[in-house]
Parts: sequence; structure tokens; C-alpha cells
Amino acid sequence: MKIEHWWYTAPLRLKSIFGRRRADDELDEEMQFHLDHKIEQGIAEGLSPEEARYRALRAIGGLDQKKEEMRDARRVHWLTDFVDDVRYAVRSLRRTPGLTALVVVTIALGIGMTATPLSMLDALVFRPYPVPHPGDVVTLVSTSRDNGFEKFSYREYLDIRDRTKSYDGVVANGNLTTVGFSAEREATPLVRGGMLVSGNYFRALGVEPQLGRGFRQDEDEAPGRDAVVVLSWDFWMREFAGHPSAVGRVVRLNGRDFTIIGVLPEAFTGLYVFDRPDFYMPLAMERFFSAGSQKDFFTDRDDRVLTLRARLAPGVTLRGAQNELAVVARDFERAYPKLNRERGAAVRTMFQMRTQDSDANWKFGVIFTTLALVVLLVACTNAAGLLLSRARTRTREIAIRLAIGAGRSRLIRLLLTESLVLALLGGLGGIAIGYLGIRFMQAFSIPAELPVRIPFRMDGRILLASFALSVLSALLCGLAPAMQSTRADLVRGLKSAEGDEPAGRKRLWGRNALVVAQVAMSLMLLAATFLMIRGFQHSIGDGPGYSTDHILMVRFDPRLVQYDATQTARFYEQLAERARETPGIVSAGYTQNPPRGLGQFDHVAFVPEAFQMPRDRESFASSMDTVDQGYFETMGVPILRGRGFRASDTATSPRVAVVNEQFAKHYWPGADALGKRLRLDGADGEPVEIVGIARTIKYSSGPATSADDFLYLPLAQHPIARMILLLKSSEDPLQLIQPVQDAVRSLDANMPILETRTYEDLYRYSTVEGPGVGVRLVGTLGAVGLLLAIAGLYGLVAYNVSRRTREIGIRIAIGARPRDVIRLIMGKGLLLVAVGTVIGLAMGIGLERLMNSMLFNAGGVDFVVYLTIVPAMLLVTILAAYLPARKATRIPPTLALRCE
Amino acid sequence: MSKPTDLVQGTLDLLLLKILALGPLHGWAISLRLGTISGDVLQVSEGSLYPALHKLEQEGWIEAEWKQTENNRRAKFYSLTRLGRKELESEKANWQRLSSAISHVVQLAEA
Repeated sequence: MKIEHWWYTAPLRLKSIFGRRRADDELDEEMQFHLDHKIEQGIAEGLSPEEARYRALRAIGGLDQKKEEMRDARRVHWLTDFVDDVRYAVRSLRRTPGLTALVVVTIALGIGMTATPLSMLDALVFRPYPVPHPGDVVTLVSTSRDNGFEKFSYREYLDIRDRTKSYDGVVANGNLTTVGFSAEREATPLVRGGMLVSGNYFRALGVEPQLGRGFRQDEDEAPGRDAVVVLSWDFWMREFAGHPSAVGRVVRLNGRDFTIIGVLPEAFTGLYVFDRPDFYMPLAMERFFSAGSQKDFFTDRDDRVLTLRARLAPGVTLRGAQNELAVVARDFERAYPKLNRERGAAVRTMFQMRTQDSDANWKFGVIFTTLALVVLLVACTNAAGLLLSRARTRTREIAIRLAIGAGRSRLIRLLLTESLVLALLGGLGGIAIGYLGIRFMQAFSIPAELPVRIPFRMDGRILLASFALSVLSALLCGLAPAMQSTRADLVRGLKSAEGDEPAGRKRLWGRNALVVAQVAMSLMLLAATFLMIRGFQHSIGDGPGYSTDHILMVRFDPRLVQYDATQTARFYEQLAERARETPGIVSAGYTQNPPRGLGQFDHVAFVPEAFQMPRDRESFASSMDTVDQGYFETMGVPILRGRGFRASDTATSPRVAVVNEQFAKHYWPGADALGKRLRLDGADGEPVEIVGIARTIKYSSGPATSADDFLYLPLAQHPIARMILLLKSSEDPLQLIQPVQDAVRSLDANMPILETRTYEDLYRYSTVEGPGVGVRLVGTLGAVGLLLAIAGLYGLVAYNVSRRTREIGIRIAIGARPRDVIRLIMGKGLLLVAVGTVIGLAMGIGLERLMNSMLFNAGGVDFVVYLTIVPAMLLVTILAAYLPARKATRIPPTLALRCE
Repeated sequence: MSKPTDLVQGTLDLLLLKILALGPLHGWAISLRLGTISGDVLQVSEGSLYPALHKLEQEGWIEAEWKQTENNRRAKFYSLTRLGRKELESEKANWQRLSSAISHVVQLAEA
């Protein structure tokens, strides 16, 4: 029935759309045919031709109305009307090019300002995984008291994979790690990013290699046996120029031969937002890529370094999967009470993974997007204001249309079509602006070891969102003016030409609300800008508390050339010795990760000795760094009490540690932490004596202002393979690069230097340039918002002046002084500004709370900010209202009186 | 002009379908036929005839074709479609139900 219905009606609809003129002609012909017969009939009955014709027409009862009725019967009139409306809108907009341009630019700014943050937010939170059916892919996490997003160990992975039934495959991957890659046996290794993945990784995720094959399950079974590697498409294009012969070639990874078995499709860029692996190795090859942890990847159940992803089986709910995993976690806790005490497990969605509380990026994304939407709102209210004043000049036109029978809803549709045309033009401009903004973000470089791909882009999703926002803005800025102008009083509208219009309260209410909203929103934007700047300034605090200049950082990873722990220790020792002998080098030291670097600090679990542990806790955790005896001097971190590390702290001497002041105060308030002991890795761990207390400095690169507990362990007692050599020079630190390279070559000609950078670069990035991007973004938003608000206020006051020209003229004629006129005109504007300011202040303080809780870990209200922006705002808005008011005082009374 | 009997809502459709079920006709002929077969009891305003025809056409119940009339003029001839035949059947059934119910009620009132 349904299909048959369409069979008959679809051609008719198409005909009505495309053969519109012909259909109309046929209509005419059909009616004419009827009329002719009716007239003939009349003449046959003895009427005169005129009488017959008149009777025929009367019988039909309004030829044109009937035709219109028949056109409506075609059910496509909405479309044909729309086309007519667009045509009409374009014509009428062309008649007021200045105003049109203004509205288009306003909306373009609004949309453009939104596109960039939206692309950020999309990349950081919403963009689905680049795999088929991405919605089914979940992440399994281990949970502890302090952290709901921990990883699993290899043993745990195998158990979970084998014991759960909720999934079509559970896969695991390690972190993106730096790998020494050489295409030829003899070539010096280049640093590239590799990722260890389980044998079923690509199969379970549904990623079909574009070339060659993915891993077989048996290639991920015997540790160290199958040296195979799968390349990402990007890497294949870059290193092998996209040549198919790459598959089957043998390359060297960390000095060992691996055979390339496949190339992934271009679309698969990995499941992480920022990390883009160049190639993938089976988990079983872990030993060649291990981070040198003291735990054994394959056997230690607490070597939790794997991220687990799983594809939910059809019909399995998140809750069902969650319950099943919880049972497995309880079994783990029962079977391994020591290792899994108070450890649970949870299933997390992509959204949950990407909006972790510890990650600041997405929060910036949310804040930027919110602010941008506010700017868009300001832009829309401005456009609405402009359209409203345009509508006023058309009162007469609209009154005539209403008078000759146009329906109100039909007129509103016509006016909305106009604003839609405007908004779409603005949207196009906005997309161009947004494109530039995104390009600006992409051009940003991050001083990381592996190049970081900025994932923000102008793609179909952002285009679609911008388009949707344009349509929404059309409704927002067009509806109010359309409603208002079609409510016009017919009689009055027809009578008065352009002059005064009745100042109904209702009518002005909308405009006043617009101004209040604009002032409030731009005040909030300004507050956000300043709070952002102040927040970052705060996080820099009274300077770093250590030296940032004249330091060169050189990164090594001797595992890339197959060094074992002893060789590594000897290499670092000898290198430091040579460095200290080199002229121009004041001091040298090692660190795993410099303060405010881009890497994450390791965490260490510990139990302070003779400390009353809370009953429900096994141990505490703290960030830590592994350093050597030269570190504190080189970095300029003062040891406040006790001592730093010494050459005499060796692998065989009693174990020692240095803590920061914050740490000491935290665990031994009011007592001396010096000489106290800690047990690392739980209550039965090795005792370590605190021999020194260092000044508390800020370690993490985020904007948080609070200081953390921090623990330093000596490199000699806590060997780590990947280290950074810090060199303090008396001259330009870059001049040390050559001597360092010579020193390294004299120790081992093959040792790759992974990264060379001055510490100042890094510091500048994490304290000035990185936050600078945010400040610039918010600042741009604030500036555009303020500009729009000023234009809006100016427009409103100017509009009021023009509306009341005659009244003002009369007032001047009967003796009003300029001061009275200014008071008359400005009084209202200033009242609105005042109301807007109060609302804006409230919103600003609300926003400050949000920003503090999300980013800066700070409480309280920053009065300096408001004391700066409120007077500035008032000054600017008063000026915006004063200029048109002053113009009003110059209205010659004669002109005003002749106005009618 | 007084209307002798206002058509019950929707009955015009039924009448038109019924008339066209007897064979294809153009608009003028339909308006004549309406007058004759109802014995001038039902007068359909010519103004509402054409919109009604168009509605039926858009519903897919009748289709139109331009043909020559007997005195050699082009006219739009309407004829019933298969869908229209079905619609006519169900409308007819509806009407019979409704009219018998109403006449029943009317007779009650007289008693």
C-alpha cells in the first residue's frame, strides 16, 4: 500500500517541483476550459456574453484563490515557497548592502570563533576511534583507591582475556615507546615511536592491513621468538615512500632484526588522541623494548603497564560486562591478596577515558567551547539587534503585506528565510575563519622527543556543526525581529511612513534584554581572559625556584644499542666524568624527567617507618625522579638541610633518598624528617633513609598551582636506562653540543643521542608558550565579544536617537539644554549597562569557580581581575552610548519639526 | 446563492470517486454530472470542485491525462487509479455504515 502510494504520488511531487511553470500553465488551461463551457452555457441560456462571463467567474468564487488552493494541494508549496523566499531575501538584502555585510561579518566572527574550539573538543573527546563500530570498543581499567584508570599486567591481561565472555576479543597495548629504528643494518638508529600490541589487536579491532597481513596469534606466544613488525600507513609513506616492497623487508628495531609483515590502512591512526605509533610489535617481543623496570613483564602480576581494550559482544550491556569484570577482579584479590589488595576493575567508555579528571586538555576544550558559544550568542544578539532596526524601516512594507492577506506565519517564514540566508553567508565566512584558527593550532610545535601530531582539524564533523550553528543562529537572531515586526499595528503601520513608532513597552523590552545580555556576556568573556592570564601567572608563581638558563639537556637510551644494566651504569658514569672535565661545563647531572618537562613522573609506593598508617591504607604514593649527585647543583635546586647525593652512595652502600620540604612536612609535621626511613614498594620493602631535604619546586607542567610531595632516588641505587644528561654551562649552552657529541663518540660511536635541547626552551614552552596559546585563544574570544557588545550598544543608542529625532527636536526647541538631552538618551543605556554588569559579574564569578575547580586548583575570588575589567567595561560602554547621544544634541530643531 | 444542502465533510470525495468510477471525465463534465445524477439536490460549488480534484490526484487516487474532447479542445481527463478504486470501496462501506446509523437515529426520534 505504502509503496503503491508512492508509485502514484512521487512523480506528481517531482513534477510539481521541477515542472512548476508547466503545472501552473495546465492549471490555467483547465480553469479556462471550465470557464469557456460555463460561459457558453450561459449564452445558450440567453444571457449576454458579459453576464455569462460574470456568472461563470462568480460561480468559481475567486479564480486566483482557487488556483493557490490547488497549488497548496501539491504539498510541495513549502519548498517552492522557500525558493521564492530565498530569491526575495537575496534581492531585499542586496538593497541594504552595508547592513547585510555587518550582519554577515558579525555571524562569521561568531561561527569562526566557535569552529576552532569545537575542533579541539571533537578531537579530544568526541571523535570516534578509527575502527569499524567504534561504539562497541571499551577500555578495561584496573582501579585502586587513588586512581580509577590504572593499567593491567600481562598476567592479568591473559586471565581477563581467557575468563571473560562479554567481549568479541580483548586486546592489550603498551605505551608508545621510543624505539631506535634503522632501515639498513649499518645506519645510525633514528628515534621512532613503537607500540607493543597483543597478537589479536588488529583482528579484534577490525583493522584490516592494507598491505601484507596483521599478527597471527602464534606470533604473540613465545617471548622473543617472532620478530615481526606492522607499519602504520604514515610511517610507510615517510620511510619507504609507500613502496609495496617494504613488506618482507628486514629492518632493525633497537638493534635487532625485525621483518615487516604488513602495513595498516591510512585511516587507522591508533586509539589515542595524541600518540600516533609509527609501528607495532607483538607483546611477546617486550624484552627488546622494556623501559628497564625492575619487574618482569611476563611473570610479575603487578607490572601494570598494559592498556586493555575490548569489543563488547552483541547483546552485552556495559553493566553486564562491568559485573563480569568485577567478579574477575575479586578473584584476583582473593588469589593475590598482597598484589591486588583493594584493587578493582572497571569497564570505561571512550568518553570516560577521554574525560579523565587528571587530564587538563579536554577541560581547556570545554572552557574554550563554552566561551566561544558565548561569543556566538553575543554575535547573534547583535545580529538580532541589527535585523530589528532593519525590520523597523520595513514596517510599512510588512503592514501592506498583512493588509492584502498574507498570513502571519507566512511572513515570519519569509523574514526567517532572510536571516537564514544571512546566517549561511556568515557561516561560510565563519568556516574560513575557523579554518585559519585550526591552522594556527596545527602549526604549534611541542618540544617533545617524538613529534606530536596535533589532531585538531576542519573535517566533515566540524563543517556540519558549523552549518548547524548557522541555522541555529538564524533562528536565534531572526525569530524575535520577525515576530515583532509582524505583530505591527496595521493601521498605524500604514499611516506613518518612516517616522516615530509607538514605543510600546513590550516592544522595547526585547531590545533592552539584548543589551543587558551583551554586556553581561562580554564582561564574562573578559573575566575569563584575565582569569586565565592570572591563573597561569600564578602557576609560575615567584619564579621557578631553580635555575632555568644555561642548561643543555641530552637524552640517552643505551638499550637502543643493547646495553645491559651494568654497561648502562658504566656508560653514564664515564660520560658524566668526561663532561665534568670539559671546559665550559660548570656541572653535570642526570635526571629522568626535568621539572615541568613533558614526560610523566614515575610514582613510587612507600610506607614511612614508625608512621601510624590509616587503617584502610597499605601505602602512600608520591611522584619521584631518579637523579645523580650532580643533579641538585646543575638544576639549582637547593638542599635546605642534610645533603644531596654523593659518589659514595653506590649500589652496595645503604640506600638513601632526598625528599622535598612539602613531603617532609606532610609526613612528619613538626618533627625532623632527616634520618627518618621509608620502605619502598610496601611495608616489607627495602628501607631507605632520608638524608636530605630539598626546596619544594613545581614539577608538573600543568597549570595546577598546588605543590606536590616529591621524592628523589639516586641513580646508582635505582638504575634506569632512559636518562637525560643535564649540563650547566658558563656560556651559551648550545655550544656544548659538539663537545658532548665528541665525548659520547669516544665512549661508543654507535650510541644514539635521542634529543638535544636547552632547558630554557622546554621551560618557556611549558610556562609561556603552551599557556600562551590558551591565553591568546581566550583573549581573542574576549576581544571579539567586547567589540561586538560595544557595537551592539552603540547601535542601540543610535537607533533610539533616530527613533526619537522628532521628540528631541521639540525638546531642544522648547529649551532643553544639551546636558538634558544627553541625560535623556544615555540614562536608559547606562541603566542597562549597570544591570548587565551585575549579571556579568555573577556569571564571571561562577565561571571563575569552574575554572578554578577544573584547572587551577585555587579557591577564592580574584578581586584584582574584577577591579580591572569592570571600570574598563563601564568606560567603554559609556563612550559607546555617549557618542550617539552627543549627536542627538546637535539635532537642529527645525529639521526635527519638519520631520513628518 | 443559497446552498440547498451542505455536503457532509468528505462526501465530495466519495461522489467524485464514484462518478469517475464510471469512466474518465474532464472537470466540466464532472460538474454537469454531479448536478444530473443527484437530481440537483446536491449542489457542489464549482469553486470547490477543482481543489478537490487536485487533492484526489495528489493522493494518487485519480490520475489526469490531457486528451482531445469531442469538439476538438484539449481538456484534462481524470480517471480512477487502482488505489482510488480501493479507496472508493472503503469510503462506500464507511458511508453505508454512517448513513444507516443516522437514518436509524432519525427514525428513533420520530417515534
